[in-house]
Amino acid sequence: MEQVKEYFYIALRGLRTRSLRSWLTILGIVIGVFLIISLLSLSEGLKSTINKQLQALGGEMVMVMPGGDEDFLSGMIFGGAKLEKADLEAIKKAEGVDTVIGYSYTGTPARYKEEAKQIAIAGLDPWKESLEIMTVFQGWSLAAGRWPSKGNQILIGSHVADGIFSKKVKVESEMVIKGRKFEVAGVLKSLGNQQDDSMVYMDMNVYQGLTGEKRGTAAYAMAKLEKGVDENVVAEAIEEALEKTRKRRFGTDEADFSVITSERMGDITGTILGIIQFVIIGFASIAILVGGIGITNTMFTSVREKTREIGIMKAIGAKNSAVLSIILFEAGIIGLLGGIGGTLLGSILAVGINYYGQTNPAFYFTTSVSPGLIVFGLAFSFFIGCAAGFFPARSATKLKPVEALRRYE
Amino acid sequence: MAEPIIKLENVWKIYQLGKVELIALKRISLEVAPGAFVTIMGPSGSGKSTLLNMVGALDSPTRGKVFLKGKDISLLTEDQLSQLRGKTIGFVFQEFNLLPNLTAIENVMLPMIFQGTPLEKRKEKAKELLISLGLEDRISHQPAELSGGERQRVAIARAFANNPEMVIADEPTGNLDSITGKKIMEVLVDFHQKQGKTIVVVTHDPHIAEYSEEIVNIKDGEIIINHQQAAKVLWSK
Repeated sequence: MEQVKEYFYIALRGLRTRSLRSWLTILGIVIGVFLIISLLSLSEGLKSTINKQLQALGGEMVMVMPGGDEDFLSGMIFGGAKLEKADLEAIKKAEGVDTVIGYSYTGTPARYKEEAKQIAIAGLDPWKESLEIMTVFQGWSLAAGRWPSKGNQILIGSHVADGIFSKKVKVESEMVIKGRKFEVAGVLKSLGNQQDDSMVYMDMNVYQGLTGEKRGTAAYAMAKLEKGVDENVVAEAIEEALEKTRKRRFGTDEADFSVITSERMGDITGTILGIIQFVIIGFASIAILVGGIGITNTMFTSVREKTREIGIMKAIGAKNSAVLSIILFEAGIIGLLGGIGGTLLGSILAVGINYYGQTNPAFYFTTSVSPGLIVFGLAFSFFIGCAAGFFPARSATKLKPVEALRRYE
Repeated sequence: MAEPIIKLENVWKIYQLGKVELIALKRISLEVAPGAFVTIMGPSGSGKSTLLNMVGALDSPTRGKVFLKGKDISLLTEDQLSQLRGKTIGFVFQEFNLLPNLTAIENVMLPMIFQGTPLEKRKEKAKELLISLGLEDRISHQPAELSGGERQRVAIARAFANNPEMVIADEPTGNLDSITGKKIMEVLVDFHQKQGKTIVVVTHDPHIAEYSEEIVNIKDGEIIINHQQAAKVLWSK
């Protein structure tokens, strides 16, 4: 074992005087691993965002969004059309629907203790019932303060309280949003979802007064169902009702909305995530293949350049296994260096996207770089390096020690 | 007589160059006894280096047998031969052949790594060897930072590292000026006289041959026994 450590060290020293070519090979691996890490962290984040939404719906809620099924994701991520007042009324009247909550959100500047930041605000309608329903179905609970009861009182997510402003936002303090003063009534406990935790919640009337959004409309609606009804039956009833009120989509005879039950949402996201993951695996495979060929090429040239050194090592007693290990380690280290660079860049990008997503709610995206993903990136690149170095290493062991000494013949 | 360290029995080495056969060694029988100082001499292209490769068990003969410490090398696996060679023989090359990425002391420790010597012992031995060769200030220098003479001394330290019974030197002074060359030869002679170790030197420099007790002359791949002819070879360039 001690010898293995020595071989690793010799391989490490061998890299000190590597040529530009080796660094280019490493760069190739960096890009490959960067691609894998950033894509995987994005798809992980996307998955958790969507799962959170699914959980929110549960079996007793149905979501109604403007826009067709196919642009449901883009509608959710980037915002889009609105539900009109008539639409909301229609949903309310559909059979099996107990309560309808209108929900809108947007990004806006806010000031807390003279510090201005971009935050996300959301309006809920009707305000009081929403708070009750959210407590039951989304697990809202107060970390501090009390539930807001007046129009100028707001409820803030846990991340707003201690993540956005440099000073911790306290209960009963004052926050200025779009030039209007609000009192922070309560702070929510973390909902386990950065997006929800970064929101400032308020009465829809106040929200619409503040943002100029048309009264009575909403970005989307959540319908709470009556006890014991089948969500699919209610979904159909809602669809039927909306069919009459909802404006036609341009140039078609289809009503521009979608009703999403947790079951249907699962189907849609499952399909989309499947495609995304398939594409990621495709890209990543190409990146890995190119990187691996790069390492193999570099190591073959390196073995040829080092014929003499390999011969010397054999002449002074190196076994084949020693030569094999040294060259495999060298290739592995090249892979690992590329892996470190790629993981670092990928993580930086992921963190950057996360940061951007927090402050710009319209950009509904989170990423997730788990320690597992980092370990995977590093171990994987080391392994790829070793695998790519295998054939060059084996050809090196086949060299005869005498080759090092050939100079007359 | 004690068992020879290396014994060549009717050794032939034939290189196949396309359709032409090049006979590099012909009917070579040679024994190197423990404690001997042998010089192999011959002009360029005489087969000296090929012979050296045989004596150093670095190459296998086309015909005939080579015995290292009484063992027929053709019956050993490559790894067994590597281990035995690493333990028994130290090599000094004309081009020094140090590993450029390793420091002087790391180069000297290398053969000991391959024999599985523990780290502490390795370090101590390598340091001791480098100091005895007057290289105490050069221990952590890389070969590129050393002069030719210094490099060759590091190479000699490396050759001595595993305490071998025999050191084979291939034109050890070939790339050095005469004064440095002389010093290098003195180190080798000292090693032979003080520790009774076996030395085999390949050279075409007759002055080097003067140090040795036994001269093997080679011409056109054959050992020349005739002394008159041998003298001629000795002084021919």
